[in-house]
Amino acid sequence: MGVPAPWTEQDKSGVYRELEHPADLWLEIRGDDPAGLCENSLYALYASMVGAEGVRPSEERTLVAEGADLGEALRGLLAGALYRFDTEGFVGAAAAVQVEWETSSETEPSRVAACARVWGEILDPGRHEPLAEIKAVTYHLLAAAPDPGGGWRATVLFDL
Amino acid sequence: MTETPNNSELRRVDDVVWEIPMREGMRVPGRVYADDVLMESLQGDQSLDQVRNVAHLPGIQRYSLAMPDIHFGYGFPIGGVAAFAVDEGVVSPGGVGYDINCGVRLLATDLERSALEGSMKRMVDQLFRDVPSGVGAHGAIQTLSRREMAEVLEQGAGWAVRHGYGRPDDLERTEAHGALPGADPEAVSERAYARGDSQVGTLGSGNHFLEIQVVDQVFDPVAARAYGLFEGQVTVMIHCGSRGFGYQVCDDYLGIMSQAAQRYGIALPDRQLACAPVDSPEGRRYLAAMACAANYAWANRQMIMHLTEEALLRALSMAPRDLNLRLVYDVAHNIAKLEDHTVDGVVRRLCVHRKGATRAFGPGHPEVPEPYRAVGQPVLIPGDMGTASFVCRGSTRAMEQTFGSTCHGAGRVLSRAAALRRAKGRAIDRELAAGGITVRSQGRKTLAEEMPEAYKDVERVVAVMDRAGISPRVARLRPLGVVKG
Repeated sequence: MGVPAPWTEQDKSGVYRELEHPADLWLEIRGDDPAGLCENSLYALYASMVGAEGVRPSEERTLVAEGADLGEALRGLLAGALYRFDTEGFVGAAAAVQVEWETSSETEPSRVAACARVWGEILDPGRHEPLAEIKAVTYHLLAAAPDPGGGWRATVLFDL
Repeated sequence: MTETPNNSELRRVDDVVWEIPMREGMRVPGRVYADDVLMESLQGDQSLDQVRNVAHLPGIQRYSLAMPDIHFGYGFPIGGVAAFAVDEGVVSPGGVGYDINCGVRLLATDLERSALEGSMKRMVDQLFRDVPSGVGAHGAIQTLSRREMAEVLEQGAGWAVRHGYGRPDDLERTEAHGALPGADPEAVSERAYARGDSQVGTLGSGNHFLEIQVVDQVFDPVAARAYGLFEGQVTVMIHCGSRGFGYQVCDDYLGIMSQAAQRYGIALPDRQLACAPVDSPEGRRYLAAMACAANYAWANRQMIMHLTEEALLRALSMAPRDLNLRLVYDVAHNIAKLEDHTVDGVVRRLCVHRKGATRAFGPGHPEVPEPYRAVGQPVLIPGDMGTASFVCRGSTRAMEQTFGSTCHGAGRVLSRAAALRRAKGRAIDRELAAGGITVRSQGRKTLAEEMPEAYKDVERVVAVMDRAGISPRVARLRPLGVVKG
């Protein structure tokens, strides 16, 4: 797979919005399908921390996560992205995500696995404006499910 | 007791104490400290439901408590206190929070405000340069090796002092002497090590700050004298925690505890209350990892104190003996600690969770530093950057009523988004400057989010706990210069 178009070259208007929360950052994110929902969630995370403007897709990182449902897998992806940011300063500019549901059996509950290839670069304080320090991706108010109005919708609360 | 008009379940106990009666599933009642105005602001807020939810957890003692700075948290409310019997109760990472041992350190100087005339901008600029702050701040010292990190996690502030970042008597004036026992570096994930190894000595971002202040009013001269505080004196306050290291420890153990709660058959009204018995492999391992993060935070604040002293000496071209920067006290306000408390006349070993709450041990308690023992421990309550912070003192009543605990700050009243909307078109730094406060921040957004109007009235919050006799006021500190991440 080639590098997808950077987020700055896509119309990302309306893919996420901030919901009212007294202390932290609570986002509602939308996507056409589970993979698109995860990609837009990564975009929302990076845009909240640094802003996507001026970030170049020059290096690639792979993030993998799984969970009992899509919400948990999505949270794991975002936590992985946050870890990369905190330890390397890696900021994403584009991503391609795959989501798979593992088949359930009588003895094993179903699992959701997500894999994201993220292209970006290391934070450069000279070119990138830090916006917010996100401490963690919480389980609180976490949801990811089909939206009755069409597409998929997630809510994620980030601890600031 | 009388019913309030706005919430039929909430019953007034006295002037500033309200009770949430037991209902099905609750093991103890809830107790909320608030005056009428603060209680009115909580109507419709889910934080009171969270007080109820905490009361469901096994082994909880007497009350699920909420301080007057309560607001909506993850599972446990911010401003919550809950004590669980070690032999039958639980420990919960959500009852501590992500920023383990977020806390406050107060430094005193020999300077009076008049001596700083014309120097404030230089001092704030120097602090801003020398104390790393902001998103992803790192590099106060070189990245620590695995062995050095393990030493930090076990020794806490003592590690910093032994490496020349402070004085031995700083440890006497730090809660728990700056290191919780039982820290086990093996209980911590590789991710936590990687997030923490370059962040010791950094302030971070958000509501964390470094502030130059003046003591503008003394309420309790005896306690103020014991703490070495006097009107007109210049002080410095540091507010920060365990940085990415602590966030990762909490994150790791929320997952572990979620599975543990199922395994032990603990019914949770909210999955964020994930917990395990204190005396279980999961509970003991979390406490060992949490102690590592708590100790990391104490090392962090000790290091920042050292950087602060160097910066101020440079900015003021002053000799150390003339500045005489010294530690008044250092308190944690996100922590779980094993403590002995009297419950129904019997001394019991409890795991006291303080999430956005400050320890407030009273006179005579052996854990209060000897110079302060006659008056009770200093309680440090930071306010917003435009108003004031407070020094209070712990009390016997706190030991009797709140497991030796009190409030931790003003508590937010505006969401960050609402604060940004309200700050639009305004220059918060210039508004603060007009009030005599010099401020430097890594980002304008943080400054807007942290604007004074975003917080509850700290005077009111502190007054509630003063009137309740839990943490009487000792002194008020006005900000002069602020560094925000």
